[in-house]
Amino acid sequence: MSEVQDKVIKVISLLLERADKTDVDVTLQSQLHGDGLGLDSLESAELSAVLEDEFGTDPFSAGLMPETVAEIVDFYAGADESGVAAAP
Amino acid sequence: MTLEPRTVVVTGGSRGLGAGIVQSFLDSGDRVATCARSETEAVKQWRDDPQYADRFLFVEVDASDREQCLHFVQRVVEEWSTIDVLVNNAGVARDGVLALVSEEDVDTVIDLNLKGTIYLTRGVVRNMLARGGGSIVNISSIVGQTGYRGLTVYGATKAALDGFTRALARELGSRHITVNGIAPGYLRTEMSHGLEGAQLDQIVRRTPAGRLGDPADVARAVQFLVDPENNWITGQVLVVDGGLTC
Repeated sequence: MSEVQDKVIKVISLLLERADKTDVDVTLQSQLHGDGLGLDSLESAELSAVLEDEFGTDPFSAGLMPETVAEIVDFYAGADESGVAAAP
Repeated sequence: MTLEPRTVVVTGGSRGLGAGIVQSFLDSGDRVATCARSETEAVKQWRDDPQYADRFLFVEVDASDREQCLHFVQRVVEEWSTIDVLVNNAGVARDGVLALVSEEDVDTVIDLNLKGTIYLTRGVVRNMLARGGGSIVNISSIVGQTGYRGLTVYGATKAALDGFTRALARELGSRHITVNGIAPGYLRTEMSHGLEGAQLDQIVRRTPAGRLGDPADVARAVQFLVDPENNWITGQVLVVDGGLTC
């Protein structure tokens, strides 16, 4: 598991824990909404904010609407490759 | 003094009501960040006062500018990590009957009172969501509720702010973030200097409390609404006007 992947999954797991959704496994294939992690719009906003806290930027604020955990990881992996990432 | 200093953001805190709110939170031992278009004597005094060292921050900001609002929020977070309280006080009034008001004045009032407030709040709310709590107070005006001849655009922005307060309170209530408003009446500040002496005399005569308000009257209400003990109060607009509109 890459460092970015590990951090993204950790951030999402902590968010779910805070929302008392402890019975959900977070994997790369997890859908963020609906039958996956079941994030509602406010939880998506929280995810956006905590990702920004962790990495300095986030895919939601960049205008993307990721549907899976993998898409979030890809956002940061892509930023890393292009040297754009602002991870603290 | 509060036990744990909170980080408090007050927009438009360099003079008038905003300065009264800044002073109130400095007095209660909190860290205060404020912004305004330019520095004033009050700002210089706070910055130079050793008792406020490391807990007062001023940034020159045009609060009607989205990028500058965002930069200000980032600056506060860089300094103190979290924002516990946001007081949206920055506002401007341009008086004149609607039929003669300029488009420039309409834009100025709406851009600062409404759009700037919304953008700055969005930035702060993201911080509050990330850490799971906070309090927001929007300073509107009784003019938003009663109307006032010559202040149509200003009144419209303040009424809109009250709607913003209620909607945001519903949106964030489950995340331990309270959102309330305060609608002050007429205060002894620069903002009321546009009113003529006769108008002010009439306002005082019609005010049950028999006087104009002071910034400290409103600041105490702000402190009440952001007190964690009062976190069951949200989505409300508290009128603080000496009874003028009762």
